[in-house]
Amino acid sequence: MEDESHNNILPNGFNTGSTESPCLKTSTMTTQHNNNNNHQNHSNKEQDRFLPIANVGRIMKKVIPPNGKISKDAKETVQECVSEFISFVTGEASDKCQREKRKTINGDDVIWAITTLGFEDYVEPLKTYLQKYKEIEGEKLNIPKQLRSEQRLHQHQQNHNNNHDENNNQPFNGAYASSNLISQPPYVPTDQKFSLPFSPNSIQNQLRQQEQIDSVGHWYE
Amino acid sequence: MRQAGAYSGLLCGGVSGRTGPHSLPLARIKKIMKNSGEGVKMISGEAPIIFSKACDLFIEELTRRSWIMAIQGKRRTLHKEDLASAVIATDIFDFLITLVSNSDSHAVGGATNVMEVETIDYS
Repeated sequence: MEDESHNNILPNGFNTGSTESPCLKTSTMTTQHNNNNNHQNHSNKEQDRFLPIANVGRIMKKVIPPNGKISKDAKETVQECVSEFISFVTGEASDKCQREKRKTINGDDVIWAITTLGFEDYVEPLKTYLQKYKEIEGEKLNIPKQLRSEQRLHQHQQNHNNNHDENNNQPFNGAYASSNLISQPPYVPTDQKFSLPFSPNSIQNQLRQQEQIDSVGHWYE
Repeated sequence: MRQAGAYSGLLCGGVSGRTGPHSLPLARIKKIMKNSGEGVKMISGEAPIIFSKACDLFIEELTRRSWIMAIQGKRRTLHKEDLASAVIATDIFDFLITLVSNSDSHAVGGATNVMEVETIDYS
């Protein structure tokens, strides 16, 4: 609680400093004027202010029972909440960059802001996700050398987190359980260097299937 | 020898080709970030990628808590009111209270909501 209040003070302080901005001046006007000004200031189409409702709906369905339903207004509300979440976190990250006199919001700023705003539980999944993304994409992103060395040092921990994350994913992604089991070998660092472990497994699976077919046929005969 | 299906399952549970390996479009996330304030100058390539996962987690948590509200109401369809109840009941969702309380929120910009929240803080 104390930390939260402390965090709340800083943004307010900076917001007070920006009272000269036109956006804040409009806050003293009536609601209609706010709408007009917002319309003028943000000429973006409505669809550009929110994430696609299909993507949002798909994610929502992952966490409710199969026989549950989601109304259209619930999806639209979540669309708005997600955009607000992005703006909320981005604002915090941007304030940090300004204090440190940097112009680019990077991944660490986003993770810091998410932690500061109370979403600590998201941090480990985010770091794991980013690590996997980099492995797959071959580090197309520009990463400072220091960050690279740090990531190498923490690679073992990340792998441990990967196992944890994998277990968490299984209950929600039943359809991918089999693929998860098959993909377990790649997450052992030593095995990543060799592609051979896949072939024997797949061959053995095929042999077992054939054996089952033969046994069934034999029993039938 | 790599199996893309396995990775896509772990990373984001199956997605259309438009968003690549992420479940949410990065360009749209970047646009929302840019519109979040005048202080946002430049955004690195990493930030939208992290947000695509963060938003996934956020949607899941918000939906899960809302579903609990629906079940308590003896219903199996998630409604807007369930989301409002979940937001009110959860501390880390305080920044959404104004948004879910406004029935015409689709017509109100994000900046207005932020300013209203600031007003509440000052009182």
